[in-house]
Amino acid sequence: MSYEVKLEAFSGPLDLLLHLIHRLEIDIYDIPMAEITQQYIDHIHAMQVLELNEASEYLVMAATLLAIKSRMLLPIHEGELEDAELEVDGPDPREELVQRLIEYKKYKEAASNLQELESDRAQVFTRPPADLSGLASDEQMALFDLNVNIYDMLGAFQKLMRRKKLKKPLKTTVARQERSVRDQMRSVVHSLRATGGRASFFELFPYEDKPTLILTFLSLLELMKRQVVIVQQDGNFEELTVTLQKEEWDDDENNDATK
Amino acid sequence: MTKTMMLQSRIEALLFVVGDDGLTIKQLALLLSEAEELVAQTMDSLRTAYDEDLTRGITIKEIAGVYQLTTKHELADTIQRLVENPTAQSLSQASLEVLAIVAYKQPITRVAVEDLRGVKCERPLQTLASRGLVKEVGRSEGTGRAILYGTTKEFLNYFGLNSIEEMPPLPEEEQGDTEQETDLFMTKFQETFSGAK
Repeated sequence: MSYEVKLEAFSGPLDLLLHLIHRLEIDIYDIPMAEITQQYIDHIHAMQVLELNEASEYLVMAATLLAIKSRMLLPIHEGELEDAELEVDGPDPREELVQRLIEYKKYKEAASNLQELESDRAQVFTRPPADLSGLASDEQMALFDLNVNIYDMLGAFQKLMRRKKLKKPLKTTVARQERSVRDQMRSVVHSLRATGGRASFFELFPYEDKPTLILTFLSLLELMKRQVVIVQQDGNFEELTVTLQKEEWDDDENNDATK
Repeated sequence: MTKTMMLQSRIEALLFVVGDDGLTIKQLALLLSEAEELVAQTMDSLRTAYDEDLTRGITIKEIAGVYQLTTKHELADTIQRLVENPTAQSLSQASLEVLAIVAYKQPITRVAVEDLRGVKCERPLQTLASRGLVKEVGRSEGTGRAILYGTTKEFLNYFGLNSIEEMPPLPEEEQGDTEQETDLFMTKFQETFSGAK
């Protein structure tokens, strides 16, 4: 396996320009365009930036430098000042570039200040909070924190997709039955009641087609959000258990239960 | 056992339990049913006691607006021995530059960050967002409703800052009177040539 050696990693064309200005000890307010353009172009040749995205940005800057250089070579005769062809957008074609460089330089320095703070902070260690769940009731805990996260849920769903041999319909029906998440929420609650308010995650998914599986999954997430059910996992990679928390729930569509 | 000593021990115990979630003076005052002022004073004396006692390895720091128990700065080497080859997951130069721009100029769009750096910033922004250091804070008014980015509480925690106001001031380039001179020049220039229309 081979790996490339970059001369120096610059974080962009402005960064490279600043580096050259610094190295050649140039006054940023009086940049010798011919020299800096030459140096810049030599440099990007040497760097051999392979990534097209990045290379293009360096090339745009090269073109900008060349444009400024050529504009500085143009003699400005007094009579031509009114000529619309000639852009007289400032006393010096380098002006805009200089402003950009100065602005960028500020943030480059700010970034190195941040870096100091970062390494400073890395010297100090803290502990995660103690687990107080033993002191709290289930309902309180549900308010604080789900004891499964979205990744557990997605993991369970992936497992489900593998486990259930998806039944392919034997013939395609044109008129599809559209069902909403809310309908499915009701049927999930209904089937939970039927199993005494508790069921394993997998039991809630009837042996059906993919759209229904997804619909059921979404409705379960919604029920978790509204704390109609809680989903628990006894340990890593254990089965998820779904428990019904409330018999009644607000069936209102625009219900934003924030509590 | 004076009341102050009692209060100090209760604060210490609470801070121990909440770990890096930390607590604010306000929260502590509520938990302890004491006046905020008294809690703040007691916190200061407790912190000083930790810092001055060289036999102690932990202290209290106020980070991202909350007080938390931390190890002492000078003991970093000792702690790093727990790990065979400690490598700090520090941010890349590109990420740091993007983060600096977002921190000082928030709320800011990706395009504005890119204009300033002269480079695409999609990837660094993604990295920063996935590490919880920047987040979407709104949408810009204009067409396309571009995402506006800002820094998070985790950003403060990551850099050990108490609030965004604690950021070191932005380095300023001492600019001579060039701008004023330019203005003068332009005014003169216009005066001279406006007659020649």
